[in-house]
Amino acid sequence: MLKLKEHSVLPGFNLALGFTLLYLSLIVLIPLSSLFFKTATSGWDNFWEIVTNERVLASLRVTFFSSLIAAALNAIFGLVIAWVLTRYTFPGKRLIDALVDLPFALPTAVAGITLAMLYAPNGWIGHYFAEYDIKIAYTPLGIVIALTFIGLPFVVRTVQPVLEEMESEAEEAAACLGASRWNTVLRVIFPSIYPALLTGFALAFARSIGEYGSVIFIAGNMPFISEIAPLLIVAKLEQYDYAGATAIALVMLLISFMLLLIINGLQGWSNRRGMK
Amino acid sequence: MSITIQNLNKQFGNFTALNNINLEVESGELVALLGPSGCGKTTLLRIIGGLDVQNSGNILFHGKNIAHRNARERSVGFVFQHYALFRHMTLFENVAFGLRVKPKKERHNETEIKRRVHELLQLVQLDWLADRYPAQLSGGQRQRVALARALAVEPQILLLDEPFGALDTKVRKELRRWLRRLHDELHVTSVFVTHDQEEALEVADRIVVMNKGEIEQVGSPDEVYANPGSPFVYEFIGNVNLFHSRTHALWTHQHGDAIAYVRPHDIEISSDPHPSSLTAIVKQIRAIGPTVRLETATLPDGEIVEIELSRERFNATPVSVGDKVFIYPRHIRLFEEKKKNPEFSAIAHHS
Repeated sequence: MLKLKEHSVLPGFNLALGFTLLYLSLIVLIPLSSLFFKTATSGWDNFWEIVTNERVLASLRVTFFSSLIAAALNAIFGLVIAWVLTRYTFPGKRLIDALVDLPFALPTAVAGITLAMLYAPNGWIGHYFAEYDIKIAYTPLGIVIALTFIGLPFVVRTVQPVLEEMESEAEEAAACLGASRWNTVLRVIFPSIYPALLTGFALAFARSIGEYGSVIFIAGNMPFISEIAPLLIVAKLEQYDYAGATAIALVMLLISFMLLLIINGLQGWSNRRGMK
Repeated sequence: MSITIQNLNKQFGNFTALNNINLEVESGELVALLGPSGCGKTTLLRIIGGLDVQNSGNILFHGKNIAHRNARERSVGFVFQHYALFRHMTLFENVAFGLRVKPKKERHNETEIKRRVHELLQLVQLDWLADRYPAQLSGGQRQRVALARALAVEPQILLLDEPFGALDTKVRKELRRWLRRLHDELHVTSVFVTHDQEEALEVADRIVVMNKGEIEQVGSPDEVYANPGSPFVYEFIGNVNLFHSRTHALWTHQHGDAIAYVRPHDIEISSDPHPSSLTAIVKQIRAIGPTVRLETATLPDGEIVEIELSRERFNATPVSVGDKVFIYPRHIRLFEEKKKNPEFSAIAHHS
């Protein structure tokens, strides 16, 4: 017989595992599996037709590509912010630290409307770009900006504790051994924060894929150009096309799950190399 | 390579960490910086290594002023108390690090790097663990790797910051003996920081005793122990009994405000009174290895005096708790109260 329970000094294994499974079922598993069932009711051919529709494919492309770019931008600049916040002391540091969490708290629609106003061709920031014929709001560029805003705290908050924990002695040791600053960053600092950075990237990316509120205000929502998949789902729902909506949702779910699995795998791999 | 330190000062805000330090370390010497925590010994070591910057003063390596070079340009090996190994690298890569980051022109080829790393790992007797990660090693092993890593770039000077501070007693003893042997083989000028007097006495050629940012005394282990230059050194190295002249004028002679310092093993006990003996009651007897430690309280004022006797000496005239004994010093050293320099020292002979 398969032995589920190893004898352990920690009590409450059965209760804790039971609760975990129940909770996950109610919150995650059942809603998501109903997605499968709902999609299945409409039949395979119908499903295939919906998801291979040009407009749907374009919207998926827009969603995943802009999320990827936004997450990558966040990985770079979030790392810089985390670095500044951990390594230096300056007046107003706590204020900036608090500011980082704001995207978590703000209703995303508010963020979307504000960003759209700022980056519109006649907005505060947008009009500087308009002079060079660069449009930001109502283009895919606008989507990237909204998603960057949304994802920023994820990277900063995952990298920050790792940077704080990192001993400056390792850097000093590298310097004594004759390593240049660049070599130290590349060979000593980066390898130790890389797993955390990857986690932050994955979180920001996952969050961006599902983002709806802020994007629709700044995207312009032009089919084939700046229409995101979540918007298409809402549009289908408004037309009572539940099968169509769940079909798109299912494809998004599968792609997201696959990408997160890959990122997880990468992390596991780098952790095994690094050992704990 | 010799190290010369001239008029070195270091402040952290209002706190003076180092106050006008002058020190000479000869080529090939193994020198210990000894002192209580907060005395500035680690700061001094870090400034020599270029990890901290002095406020004023000069540091000369082999007569050349390097005070304004950074750590990278000083080619000094540094060993940290908490090892500071690169956690994501194997032992091999840790030791190879210094060789790999050399500028392209000076860098060895891969076979040469491999050969040297294995040679160093053999030197620290860890060659068989080359593919392990630091987390898989014990503390003592980690510190040996840290040492191999520091030696890989063939430094002219080796600096060690409490290298055995984080290890347990047995491993410490082993490692310091091993360090001494290694130093005798390599003859690299070494400075190590410790707050453990036993460690300093056992390993170092010379000891620099520091207190409150200043050097109290520099000398060989024997000199520092047998002939302490100040009350601080007396109290910091080895055990000592203090006798104030006010209460024990007999021992401190006629001098005004003076304190007599007497080592526990410089006190003789006997059952007969002596011209200069004090009367004391035996409070406690503890046998520790080859010595027997007596705690006695003087009569009438009850001051505690510690006495150390060899086991044979104790067995020749055994006493027990509660006995009244007469104690007298074989060797006394006087310091004027609240002054650093000994007013004079006297050896009292009683036979």
